[in-house]
Amino acid sequence: MDTLEICYMSAGDLSKLVQNKEVSPVEIIDAHLTRIEATEPVLNSFITLLADESRAAAHQAEKDIQAGRYKGPLHGIPVGLKDLYNTAGVRTTSGSKIFDTFIPEEDCTVAARFQQAGAILLGKLNMHQFAYGPTGENPDYGHMHNPWNPEMVTGGSSGGSGSATAAGQCTITTGSDTGGSIRIPAALCGIVGLKPTYGLVSRWGLTALSWSLDHPGPMVRTVEDAAITMNVIAGYDPKDVASAKVDIPDYTTALTGDVRGLRIGMPKEYFEAPMDPQVRKAVLDAISLLESMGAEVKEVSFPMFNQSQAISSTVLMAEASAYHRDLLEKDGHQLYEPVRQRLEAGLFISAADYLRAQQARALLDQEGRRLLDDVDLLAGPTEPVTAPELLAATVLAGEQEIGVVGALTQYTRPYNINGFPAISVPCGFSDAGLPIGLQLAGKPFDELTVLRAAHAYEQATDWHTRRPPI
Amino acid sequence: MAAEKQLSREEFDHLAKLLGVDGEPAYLDELFSQVRGVFIGAKRIREIDVSGAEPDMAFIPPTD
Repeated sequence: MDTLEICYMSAGDLSKLVQNKEVSPVEIIDAHLTRIEATEPVLNSFITLLADESRAAAHQAEKDIQAGRYKGPLHGIPVGLKDLYNTAGVRTTSGSKIFDTFIPEEDCTVAARFQQAGAILLGKLNMHQFAYGPTGENPDYGHMHNPWNPEMVTGGSSGGSGSATAAGQCTITTGSDTGGSIRIPAALCGIVGLKPTYGLVSRWGLTALSWSLDHPGPMVRTVEDAAITMNVIAGYDPKDVASAKVDIPDYTTALTGDVRGLRIGMPKEYFEAPMDPQVRKAVLDAISLLESMGAEVKEVSFPMFNQSQAISSTVLMAEASAYHRDLLEKDGHQLYEPVRQRLEAGLFISAADYLRAQQARALLDQEGRRLLDDVDLLAGPTEPVTAPELLAATVLAGEQEIGVVGALTQYTRPYNINGFPAISVPCGFSDAGLPIGLQLAGKPFDELTVLRAAHAYEQATDWHTRRPPI
Repeated sequence: MAAEKQLSREEFDHLAKLLGVDGEPAYLDELFSQVRGVFIGAKRIREIDVSGAEPDMAFIPPTD
C-alpha cells in the first residue's frame, strides 16, 4: 500500500486492516516516520520524535497481533501527545526550555490508557509555551506552521497536534483546551477537535494552565476517530479530583448518520460579532445542510456569550498566575515574553474580582443549561476568521480589525467556562484555501449527540477528505 | 475604588512594586497596557448583576 495513503487513513479504517493483518504496525509506523521526515522541516510539529522507540513498539505490536493478542481499535495506531502530557521516561517540556530535561517517572492517565490500548507513541508535540496562547508560537522549540499555508499560524495552544494530524504525521493526537486550545487549531488546520465535558477525561499528569478550565481531548481527522479515541481515554480517574463518575457509553454508537429530530439552536449573538463573510457563509451553509437532513434549526439568544471573554480571561489569568507563580519568580526571565506578561498581569487580579468572575460564570452556566433545555445543540463558527499570519497582532474579521487572541477565542471560551462538550468539524475553505470550522456544543456528558451531529454532517460533505498541499 | 477608573501609570508602578514585578522599561510599558485590559475586563464583570449567584468554582461533575 502507498505510504502516503497509510498516513491519511483514519484510525477506524487502519484498525480494520491491522486486525485483518493486511497492514502491519511496522508498515504504519515506517510510513509515518517517512512522512514526518519529509514535512517536519516546514511544519515543526514535534518537540520530541520517538523514531526508534516507536519502531520497537511496532515490532512488538506486530508480534502480539500475529500471536492473536489483538488489543482493539488502537492497537498499532500512531499517536502523538501534546508535550504537556507526562510520559514515563520521555521528556515533557510543556513547550519551555526550562523543562528541556524534565523526564517524568509516570505516565499521565491518558498516556497510560493509550498504552493499554496498544497505541504507539510517535512523539511529543509542539505547543504554545505552557499552553498560554491561541496561535502556536514557541521561540524555544520554533513556531508551528499551518500545513495549508506555512506562513499562517496553526492555532494553539495545541498547534503541533493540529499540524501533525492535518499533514498525516500522526493518526491521532491529543490537545488540552483551556480557552479553545483543541478547537482553535482543529478549525484552523482543517481537522476534528473534541473538547469533552469537564471531568470526562482525566487531567492527571498534565501541566495545568487553569485548573477549572482545562480539558484534555482528541484531535483527529474524522469524527469516528474522535469516538474511537474517547472509548479509550474517557472515564473516571481517582487521581483527578475533578474526574466524573459517569457511565461511559460506546461513543461509536453515535455514528448513525441521522440527525432527524435533533434540535439545533443558532445563538444570534454569535452572528452579531465580527466575522469574516466567507466564514459566515460556510457556517450558515453547514447549518442549512443539517436542517435539510432533518434537524430542526431555530435562532436562540445567548446574551452571556458577550460576557464570556471577560469572565474567562479573569478566571484563567488568576488561576494560571497562581499555578505558575513559583516558576515566574524563579525562571520568569526565561519565559517567552508574551507568556510572562500574561502570567504577571494575572497577579494584578484581586480575589474579589476573581470571585465576581466566578459568580458571573455561574450565570453563564445557568443560561447555557436553560438554552439546552430547549435545543439539543448550539451551532456556530469555531473561529470568526481563517488562520491569521504568524506573529500578527491583529486580524481582519469582516470589516473590523481585531486582536488575534480575542478573535481566536471568541467562540470557544463559553464552553470552557461552563464545561459543556464542544466539537469543531471542518465545514469549508476560504478562497485562499484555508480551512473553516463548525462548532457544535451540547449538554454536559452528552458527547453522543455532539458526535452524532458532527458525524452526520461530515458524512454528507467531503471537507474532511481534502489534503493540505504540503 | 482605584479599579473603577482607568488605572494610572503611577498606580500600576506602585502595584507592580508590591507584587514584586520588575523588568525593563519597555517590558513594563507593555505589561501596563495588559494590566489596563485586565482592569477593564474586571470592571465589565462588576457591571453584571450577579445577585443571588454563588461563585461557581468549577463545573462540578456528578461523583456518585
